[in-house]
Amino acid sequence: MKHIDTTCLIDDDRIFIFAAKRILKATNFCNNFTIYNNGAEALTGLRDIIKSGNNIPDLILLDLNMPIMDGWQFLDEFVKIENSKKTTLYIVSSSIDPADSEKAKQYEQITDFIVKPITKDALTEIVNTINTK
Amino acid sequence: MKELYNQLFQKHKTEDNTSLTYMDSLQRDIAIGSWEVNLQTDTVIWSAMTKTIHEVEQDYQPNVKEGVNFFLEGYNRDLISLLFARAVNDQQSYDREFQLKTAKNNIKWVRIVAYPVIEDNKTKKVIGVLQDITEKNNTLNELKLKEELIRTTFEHAPNGMALVSLSGEIITLNKTFCDYLGYTTEELIGCKINKLSHPGDIDIIPANIKNLIDGVSDKFECEKRYIKKDGSYINCILSISILRNENNQPIHFISHLIDITERKVAHKEVETLLTTTKSQNEKLLNFAHIVSHNLRSHSGNLEMLLDIMKTDLPECTENEFFPLIEEAVNNLSETISNLNEVSIINSKESKDLKAVNLLKTTHTALANFKASIIATDAKINISIDSNIYVLVIPAYLDSILFNLISNSIKYKRPDATPVINISAQQTTDFIKITVSDNGLGIDLDLHKNKIFGLYKTFHKHQEARGLGLYITKNQVEAMNGKINVSSKPNEGTTFTIHLKHEAH
Repeated sequence: MKHIDTTCLIDDDRIFIFAAKRILKATNFCNNFTIYNNGAEALTGLRDIIKSGNNIPDLILLDLNMPIMDGWQFLDEFVKIENSKKTTLYIVSSSIDPADSEKAKQYEQITDFIVKPITKDALTEIVNTINTK
Repeated sequence: MKELYNQLFQKHKTEDNTSLTYMDSLQRDIAIGSWEVNLQTDTVIWSAMTKTIHEVEQDYQPNVKEGVNFFLEGYNRDLISLLFARAVNDQQSYDREFQLKTAKNNIKWVRIVAYPVIEDNKTKKVIGVLQDITEKNNTLNELKLKEELIRTTFEHAPNGMALVSLSGEIITLNKTFCDYLGYTTEELIGCKINKLSHPGDIDIIPANIKNLIDGVSDKFECEKRYIKKDGSYINCILSISILRNENNQPIHFISHLIDITERKVAHKEVETLLTTTKSQNEKLLNFAHIVSHNLRSHSGNLEMLLDIMKTDLPECTENEFFPLIEEAVNNLSETISNLNEVSIINSKESKDLKAVNLLKTTHTALANFKASIIATDAKINISIDSNIYVLVIPAYLDSILFNLISNSIKYKRPDATPVINISAQQTTDFIKITVSDNGLGIDLDLHKNKIFGLYKTFHKHQEARGLGLYITKNQVEAMNGKINVSSKPNEGTTFTIHLKHEAH
């Protein structure tokens, strides 16, 4: 299994973060997590990481509906960051609005669109995708 | 007239051929013919023009009886008989207008002047002239009719009309105009029309009036308020045109008024209603969004937490609460996903309609039920022309047929082999699809209003969710169609769906 240093979770939902961390840990996929509660926080945090010369997280799970700066606004800024293509990014959202999944297809950076609730199977799928990359 | 007659008739009598022709042509030119009834010899003489007016051949030999019979039966014939008898018996001359029917069956107006010729106190002859006045009378009558028409139109027009002098006084006006403003005719005649104007609108008129007088325009229209006698005001559409004489000099204005107060009020009501509907629709969309996103995320979290609990703390699944909580969470998630289905239907627009072959779609829908058809021994009769295409959102038609067929099988009578008839007919505007069964049926007297309702179930069936017909109705309506049901308990149910076809 390919080793993943850090997974970045961008979501304002505490319960989701708790559960996602738990499941990811259970699969022995990754033990380090960077958590941001909205797009703006994530953008600042990720910029700081790059500035300090550290590696950008290998996997980002991005929620869409968040306060202050939502997922789409975050993406529009994030794609401008150098090295942004080095990470694997998934949208993980409760939205079943077809407009959202259509929009997701327009971003090269988005690997896939996962509808919540996230299950163990879905996470295993993500892990497999990254491993075959 | 007598002199004229004498001239005409005396010459006629001379039997001088040249004069006769001359007199005849003269008679023809003025459309006057002459005639004579000789009472002694009982003979009648008509001049050439008289014959022409009667449209008889020139060799026609008139007599008294036939002459009278040319007059229209009834009033005309009775009157000429009476007047002629008076001329003979009382030696009274007459000059009257009559209507006669010519030999060619044309109705003509004629003026007849008659004089008795008296010798020895006895009437020997009655002589006279006959003038064709049809054209004159027709013109007069037409004019009268037109006048009547204009007068009636003016008086009884559903809109207010007034004749206004160039200086702005009302010359005459109709009842509607008075009714609009609550005045009597007498109160308004002679009144300055701009005194009735709403003070705020008084400036509209002058410039436009000048254009009318100068001939820049011949009509102008505006919206304007008028003050009623009781002080309230009405909204009107005012249209003013100008009447000119033969020298193109303006004589007066014709003002035409339409009261649109009610229309304005109605318009406002419609606008308010529209705004309300719009905002309600927005609220509904917001609600759909709340359902779609917020509720989903909560129920999703619950599912996720239970999932983790199961793996991390397997011992807790043995707790008697666990399966109950799990069931509650699953039900919650299902309800939310049902609500989502419904809210998505309502936000779809009819522009996504596609022409779909109904027979093919029906067969595809039936393919889903292969197993249950065999298990229940159901008999399916399809009577759909292979050329019928319906204009639908394909997924909706699939779902509608699926739901109806599924209901027919699900709610079969335990004691009868299910028979399902699916048929379609094309009408000018719609394709009428009928799905009928011999199943349990629904008591419509009890459930009429609820049958297409959300979460309404009518039978104890383990799979009854009370969602199918609600979604079906919503889908049919989203495609601009309609759905009806007729049913009798223990006999069966028939659903009739009207959908647009390709041409519409």
